[in-house]
Amino acid sequence: MLQVLISGLSLSAYYALLALGFAMIYSTLRIFNIAHAAVFGAAAYTFYFLYRVANVNLLACVLVTIVFAALFGLLIDFAVYRPLTARGGGTFNIFIASLGVATLFEAGALLATHGTPLVAHAGSLESISVGAVSFRMLDVIVVGSVAVLYGALFYAIMTTRTGLEIRALADNHTMAGVVGIDTNRARTSIFLIASALAGLAGILTVYDSGVVPTTGLNLLFVTFVAVIFGGTRRLFMGALGGSLVMGLVTAFAGFFFPQWVMVIVFVLLIGLLIARPQGFFA
Amino acid sequence: MDYVYFIASVICVWIILSVAANLAIGYGGLMSLGHVGYLAIGAYTAASLNILLNLNFYYTIPIAIVATAAVAYVTVIPLLRLGTFYFGLATLGLNIVITDVLQNIGPRVPGAEGLFGLHLPELMTIGLWRLTFIAALTAGVVYLALRLVRSPFGRSLRAMRDQPDAIESLGKSARRVRTIIWTISGALAGLAGALYCTTLSYIDPTVFNFQFSFNLLTYIGFGGLASIAGSVLGPAILIAFGEALRFTGLPSEITGPVQQSLFALLLIFVMVFRRQGLVGKYDFRE
Repeated sequence: MLQVLISGLSLSAYYALLALGFAMIYSTLRIFNIAHAAVFGAAAYTFYFLYRVANVNLLACVLVTIVFAALFGLLIDFAVYRPLTARGGGTFNIFIASLGVATLFEAGALLATHGTPLVAHAGSLESISVGAVSFRMLDVIVVGSVAVLYGALFYAIMTTRTGLEIRALADNHTMAGVVGIDTNRARTSIFLIASALAGLAGILTVYDSGVVPTTGLNLLFVTFVAVIFGGTRRLFMGALGGSLVMGLVTAFAGFFFPQWVMVIVFVLLIGLLIARPQGFFA
Repeated sequence: MDYVYFIASVICVWIILSVAANLAIGYGGLMSLGHVGYLAIGAYTAASLNILLNLNFYYTIPIAIVATAAVAYVTVIPLLRLGTFYFGLATLGLNIVITDVLQNIGPRVPGAEGLFGLHLPELMTIGLWRLTFIAALTAGVVYLALRLVRSPFGRSLRAMRDQPDAIESLGKSARRVRTIIWTISGALAGLAGALYCTTLSYIDPTVFNFQFSFNLLTYIGFGGLASIAGSVLGPAILIAFGEALRFTGLPSEITGPVQQSLFALLLIFVMVFRRQGLVGKYDFRE
């Protein structure tokens, strides 16, 4: 039981990495960025290629992949979302185009890998046991880095100028432009930060459990339920709280009723949308 | 030749489903990403009645229509409280819930994961006759849909989509109009599902997964929203194109993803440059 709780917490950490970026883009720009899954997947495959095929040193791999993911996310914005908005498209058009980007990536990854699961680490991972439960070192690292990242980003958003601009965008996009915030520059920072977080999630996933072309979208489905659960009014609390809940829900559901996980997640989503569309922590 | 009849039958089925979805999305303004879920209910109803209970296939068609309409009616009532965007998201969830439920507790032939061995009436086993039957029903659906959107109900439907407050102030209930169009749309999806069975040798939930909802969205988006002609052209052109890919000589594990990525590119292109699609009269802006 305690073991399930621990795996739930570690799952939460993965969701939290995706959720924070996703919520950041959604709350500031009203873009429901399904293509976040493509960024996640692209990072996972890049990391795999660098680490396993090209044999680059681990730290360098991580850094290069994160930079790549951030730029890839920004590229999607420049290639698809900005032209779409400039031509008068609305939230829904962007959502569908974003779904197109995610599908395009998935099909491309399927072509390249033939759907073979890829795992980056070799051998078994170190673990430590305390009493009846065992922690894997990797999970400890994941949870720790999520905590550090949330803290650092929270601090940055609360104190830096870019952070102030991002918060202003989340409050009122039009008004932020009116009072002289360079919304395009803020938008660029938002996409860079959010995509870098998705990149880190991709690296950790491919290192640990491995990825197939559909992994990103499957994770993102749970993640956006987490974001809707948490609500986007309070960015950090919402993303973290929602991820924690969804991590525990999927871990326990996966333990007791493994074939019903997605049904539970989506019934929860539909129920939540109907009962509390503004989110649980808002 | 049988192959051509088969492809034409598949196209007809998707035309019915596209018309059904377009009635809800284009005319009703109800964004649906879940119509393939209703297709699954129609197909499963017809196939399980026919295979497991030996009911004549012709009788299973009206039952599939009624059953799917009922499911559509029941599921849309709570969803109508949601705004456009969350409505779309919830229907996506609905699609996944339906296929997962069918996967876990759906009817199946003992020892298999799905259903097979449809007992078709003798005439229906002939490719050309089956096509004639399906095409006649498709023509009927297209005719009725055209009548519907040009009727007073069709006008209040579009008015509801564009100016819900104005139409409510004239004493019409938005809720009622939306429920009706969604139920009609569900009924048509049920018909499409029943007919879809005849073109499949094996029916299992993977036939109705999210990828097909995505394809449906591409057909409608490409053909054009709020246009019955668009819903005929979209699936006809794109499915014929997808089948043509098979003749390029590439192995099937390559043509599948290639087709999927071309559809995705097409959809992105349509969203950026031509949101009303080929012949559509409405673009989804909200």
